[in-house]
Amino acid sequence: MDFTHDIVRITSALSTWWWILLGLMFLFYIALDGADLGAGIFALFSKDEDERGAIMASMAGFWDGNETWLVVAGGVLFGAFPLVYGSAFNYLMIPLMIALWAIIMRAVAFEFHVHARSSRKVWGWFFAIGSLLAPFFAGVALGASLQGFPMQNGLAMAHIAGRDYSTPVMHFSGNALTWLTPFSIWTGVGAVIAAGLAGGLYLCARFVPGDVIHERAKGWTSLFSFLALAAIVVTLVWSYAIFPWAAAKWTGSNWWVWAAWMIIVLFFAFKSMSNHSAGHDFVALLWGEGVVALLWAAMWATMFPYIVPGTWTIDAAANPANSLAVFTLFMTGFVPIMIMYNWYQIWVFRGRFTKKSIYAAH
Amino acid sequence: MIIENSLPVLLSRLDFAWITTMHILWTPMTIGMSWLLFFLEVAWLRSGDERWYKLNRFFEKIFIINFGAGVATGVTMEMAFGILYGPFSQAVGPFFGNILGFETITAFMYEAGFIGLMVFGWGKVSKGMHLFATFNVGLSSSLSAMWILVANSWMQTPNGVVLKDGLFQVENWWHAILNDNFVWGFPHMWVATVELSLFVMAGVSAWFILKNRNADLFTKMLKPTLLALLIVTPIQIFIGDSVGKDVADTQPTSLAAMEGHYHTYLPDGKPNTSWNLIAIPNANNDGNLFQISIPHVLSLLETHTWDGAVKGMDQFAPEDRPDVWVPFYAFRVMVAIGFFLFFVALWGNWLRLRGKLNAESLRKSPWFLRAVVFSAFLPYLAIWTGWWVREIGRQPWVVYGLMRTYQGVSHMSVAQEVIWFLGYILFELLVWAGAWYFFARVIAKGVDGIAPSNQLFHHGEEGDAHAGGGHAQASFAKPMLKAER
Repeated sequence: MDFTHDIVRITSALSTWWWILLGLMFLFYIALDGADLGAGIFALFSKDEDERGAIMASMAGFWDGNETWLVVAGGVLFGAFPLVYGSAFNYLMIPLMIALWAIIMRAVAFEFHVHARSSRKVWGWFFAIGSLLAPFFAGVALGASLQGFPMQNGLAMAHIAGRDYSTPVMHFSGNALTWLTPFSIWTGVGAVIAAGLAGGLYLCARFVPGDVIHERAKGWTSLFSFLALAAIVVTLVWSYAIFPWAAAKWTGSNWWVWAAWMIIVLFFAFKSMSNHSAGHDFVALLWGEGVVALLWAAMWATMFPYIVPGTWTIDAAANPANSLAVFTLFMTGFVPIMIMYNWYQIWVFRGRFTKKSIYAAH
Repeated sequence: MIIENSLPVLLSRLDFAWITTMHILWTPMTIGMSWLLFFLEVAWLRSGDERWYKLNRFFEKIFIINFGAGVATGVTMEMAFGILYGPFSQAVGPFFGNILGFETITAFMYEAGFIGLMVFGWGKVSKGMHLFATFNVGLSSSLSAMWILVANSWMQTPNGVVLKDGLFQVENWWHAILNDNFVWGFPHMWVATVELSLFVMAGVSAWFILKNRNADLFTKMLKPTLLALLIVTPIQIFIGDSVGKDVADTQPTSLAAMEGHYHTYLPDGKPNTSWNLIAIPNANNDGNLFQISIPHVLSLLETHTWDGAVKGMDQFAPEDRPDVWVPFYAFRVMVAIGFFLFFVALWGNWLRLRGKLNAESLRKSPWFLRAVVFSAFLPYLAIWTGWWVREIGRQPWVVYGLMRTYQGVSHMSVAQEVIWFLGYILFELLVWAGAWYFFARVIAKGVDGIAPSNQLFHHGEEGDAHAGGGHAQASFAKPMLKAER
């Protein structure tokens, strides 16, 4: 009997399943950490260290939990799609490196701002600048991934003669700046706008109405709502123009699904903005996160069946069937548990803050 | 040899060595200390003794700074696999990638979920829930260590896989997970984390007694710590010996490098049984220029016989030999520290037997206290040197016997590698300096500022934040109920 066909089908099903979960992990990261990164961008314009301290305090219990979704997404990528992990990271070395420095800057600032006396200002700036650089370069990396990257088989270091330098797998064959294009810079800017909006919505929901931070966050949110709408339009038009795989899908026979999806997105955006004006801060935040989720799902669906458009399909990048099966057996059950205790953690630290609630000694 | 160590390959190795070396400064203490904090919390809850609570909250501050630094450098490591070792990451995906995926989900995320509760949850969740959180931090960080050691041990002894279509396809999961090196390698690392944390806690306590600050409180801490060390330090020496035998069986080149053992047989045809105390290997890597050696000791150590043959470097092709300098000396430093720490544990418990382990007598003869403070730094050095032995001993393979290091490195320009390297030297040093600065601050501040435990659930005037992070005014505790808007 020949099981080859079955194994191919199982591999395909499992890899698609992990592709969906991967999208979910990234979504959790963007939705959760986006808000506290954005609050950090807001802190760039804070008047004093007490404000920055209060903003840090408001996310004390869970910012690290939010950030770990990125690590989990990285782990899933390595565990299920190692071929993407090993080639895309190579391609994105510079943006990922800077994003990582930014994340480290933030993490260090969180630890040290509390304990510092004379150096508080330095850590406050570390926090704010790290919060700006991380979404910018993460956005750049996302835009660069959408563009795909060149791959090559065979000799790794051809300039060194006399020895077989072939590597057992295909590898990234561009140069250090292949990722740098106007589009990838734009997606970086777009990510900053998106994070800024999420941060504004978050701060409104976290601080007591009438508090100085709450008041300024309100104005900030209104401004960023319009910036974000403009950014969505620009990104869609630009993607349509340069990505044939996106254009083909959006104007194909299922064009009405995409159109309906956009209308739902606009409805969510409208609800978020109107709730924000009405002072229903938490509800506005939820609708806003809904917009993020809808757009992310749309992007993921547009890429199918690619995981890196034009470079890696989901099936080609996935681990062999037995590895995927073991991964699935071990991991899938943990996903709902992780979501549960993350939710519990956020719940424990709910409640509103004022500028006076500095990040107190723990 | 020269080609394999071309500049880009060498830089990739140095970059990764730096990143690992800086990361391993933090994680072992997180792993070991989380259990010790758990035991302190249990002691407090069982006895109601406020002193255990104070000690817990004090050491927790050190733990948190340490944890933050560990996460920051850990994320760096995760990315460094993909960036510096792209082809390696791709090829080992089916096993190694899977295992690191397990680690992030079953351990890293698990830990992150509970650490927020543990650190900021004081007074916000019940005491039982808090203890549960602390326990889970201990369990999850140990799980994390286990998965990482599975992955690294597999690189040393890649059991259960076959290299097919450019990928290491797994044939037997149990053989791959419980690979030869893992069986003793993981206990060796885990016990090291406990030994490190015990010595750090003992060292900090000894410092306080030396300075005569809260001397009685910290003597209370020193007693159980020294008792635990009396058990842990000899166990570690025993496990270390088992790891050594394991390496002799599975990675003879690494063992030969650790011992500077080049010639399997003497010119007269008898086995070369000499153990080298000091050696200067020559540049060709085919013999020692100079050595001081003791006959029969090597055979006794590795084969447990008087003159059994131990495979030397001459049994392997020159291009398959690792460099000797680092494994040889790093190994000796590690072993010496292991025995010295055992001696310190013996010393402390001997003082205790003679009834001299109290603040007053200890300060009269401060040499023991100074030795303990000094010993707080030694486990760090032992962990470093041990890890260098492991990683450099495996060369020139990245997956021993199956994939050479040059096949695994990403194809980056020297400029890229240098930028990355300089950037991370700067950043990791910043993390390191910052962490040590704040360790010093926390220790200088001492325990007197810690509020008593009966204030845990007491929230003051609205708007003011108390220990445990900012908290909200009661009326905003349920911000999403429509009726309250």
